Amino acid sequence: MEESTLRYEKIDFLGEGQFATVYKARDVKTDKIVAVKKIKIGSRLEAQDGINRTALREIKLLQELQHINLIGLLDVFGQKSNVSLVFDFMDTDLEIIIKDNNIVLTPANVKAYMIMTLKGLEYLHQNWILHRDLKPNNLLINREGILKIGDFGLAKAFGSPTRINTHQVVTRWYRSPELLFGARQYGTGVDMWAIGCILAELLLRVPFLPGESDLDQLSRIFQVFGTPTEETWPGMKSLTDYVQYKQFPAQQLRHIFSAASDDLLQLMESLLALYPPRRCDCTQALQMPYFSNKPAPSVGSKLPMPSNITKIETEKPSLKRKLLDNIDGGLLAKKLQF
Amino acid sequence: MDDQACPRCKTTKYRNPSLKLMVNVCGHALCESCVDLLFLKGSGSCPECNVPLRRSNFRVQLFEDSMVEKEIDIRKRVLKDFNKKEEDFATLREYNDYLEEIETIIYNLVNNIDVVGTNKRIEQYKKDNKEIIMKNKAKIGREELELEEILEVEKQMEELRRAEMVKIEEEAKKKKIREKEALIDELMFADGDAKDILNTFAQTVANKQEEVVPIVPKVTQFSTGVKFTRGSGQQQMPLVEEGPLYRYEPPVIPDRVGPDPPSVQEIVNNGYLRHVRAETETEKAGGYSSTLPCLRALQDALSGLYHAS
Repeated sequence: MEESTLRYEKIDFLGEGQFATVYKARDVKTDKIVAVKKIKIGSRLEAQDGINRTALREIKLLQELQHINLIGLLDVFGQKSNVSLVFDFMDTDLEIIIKDNNIVLTPANVKAYMIMTLKGLEYLHQNWILHRDLKPNNLLINREGILKIGDFGLAKAFGSPTRINTHQVVTRWYRSPELLFGARQYGTGVDMWAIGCILAELLLRVPFLPGESDLDQLSRIFQVFGTPTEETWPGMKSLTDYVQYKQFPAQQLRHIFSAASDDLLQLMESLLALYPPRRCDCTQALQMPYFSNKPAPSVGSKLPMPSNITKIETEKPSLKRKLLDNIDGGLLAKKLQF
Repeated sequence: MDDQACPRCKTTKYRNPSLKLMVNVCGHALCESCVDLLFLKGSGSCPECNVPLRRSNFRVQLFEDSMVEKEIDIRKRVLKDFNKKEEDFATLREYNDYLEEIETIIYNLVNNIDVVGTNKRIEQYKKDNKEIIMKNKAKIGREELELEEILEVEKQMEELRRAEMVKIEEEAKKKKIREKEALIDELMFADGDAKDILNTFAQTVANKQEEVVPIVPKVTQFSTGVKFTRGSGQQQMPLVEEGPLYRYEPPVIPDRVGPDPPSVQEIVNNGYLRHVRAETETEKAGGYSSTLPCLRALQDALSGLYHAS
């Protein structure tokens, strides 16, 4: 125990969530930079039930998962009544990249992000695990341009004939229609829908379906894809939380994503199919023409990074990089706008 | 009285030469020390019109007429959202109407005409045009960035040129010293007349200088500034990276230490599903299928079958 706490030297505070505080630290033993997630023990009442459930899920699942596109759990150690998880250190996440107006995302970049995400998820699904909280914020990226799926706090095994799952999973904007209708038995479709929303967000640079409530979320979905009927979605009316919606006509995705190529729209349509059995799985998605067609996906080192993170110096820092760094310093001329 | 004075503490420029008047969004001026005093907490209200203000929004007054300052503030704020461009309109007429509307809004706000209604109008516009505003904002950002980039390139070139000049100068100096030394050596060891030697040296130096003169600072393409157009394209979009095309490869499955489980196809065709509870309509509508537990159970059962301890 003592040894473990000494092994990691705190460098910086990274962030705080509901259940945990995250620090950047150096592993003294290997001299690697890692992220240490210290689980909050909470009130005495919570502590009575033992260790936090999300943390337990992360430990349980990640210990057995090994994939380049999944966040690696390097170590777990306890100190007094605390539990800390040690992860690969990741420099940024997809949400930051999407929101950064200084970054131009090329079609090749988008393809590279999608491939890495789908490969990680394919491995996850193959091992009978649903992530259930996919969103740009949870797709972590390091300075080598490698994307890793993170935050397994909601992940769970699937494919059991008897177990009932909760439908209150996935951040609302990325939640699939069957979850919004209260389905208790579902499959990989919930993750695939989220992937579709993320793909759309990569193109639009704003959330695709930013619903303000669960009901609003469904109406936003139907406004784009058209309200499903008993023919297009058999059994829809038997779902627990089914509510009748106004009939919206389906829109052409081509009109929403005017700059997207045909093969990309084909993928998106397949990811965002309303009827869950018609949605493609990761393997099918990765075999679609979009991924094998030109342009080729960007290699990791060519992927964009936010300006405050310096890439590994493979070449001389470009002019643009320098420029971006300066902007934060307020070197912009204060010109009067008339 | 053309002297500036703070309306609160009545200090004038005459009495305090370092007086700096600051203005905020409401257009009422205050001197720097009054701002420090009143906005100790970071926010407060204007002593003249009671409008709540933030300290960070105070800036030095550039124009004597504070109404001008106020208009600048309002214009900046309004134009941030009213950022449509001519391309966004079908006809010139529509664009002109749009510009007219902006001016009306700004005029109203500056002169306190129907402020509530005007602000409502802005809110409505913001709501209606959320997407276009966001898009245009991103566009503007990019344009500014490019401009900055050009400036940076010019600065670098300037520095390079300066360094070159310094180098040339230094070299010239060194040469002079060398020549002088040569002359002294010559005078010390040569047998000829000192006057002759001096003359010949002066001659060679003069010749050399003539040769040197033609070196004119190189004209670079940047000094004109015209050659840099935004439409160069190459700067805007990174070149298409020619990486290897993607080919699907199934993930490597760790050694099961057992026979291969049947595929989904086989499960459906070979009647395995008869032994599993079929999915109900509700379950199917939720994306669940009885092939899932069947496949999983078979995988579980078959892995590790050959394992010998």
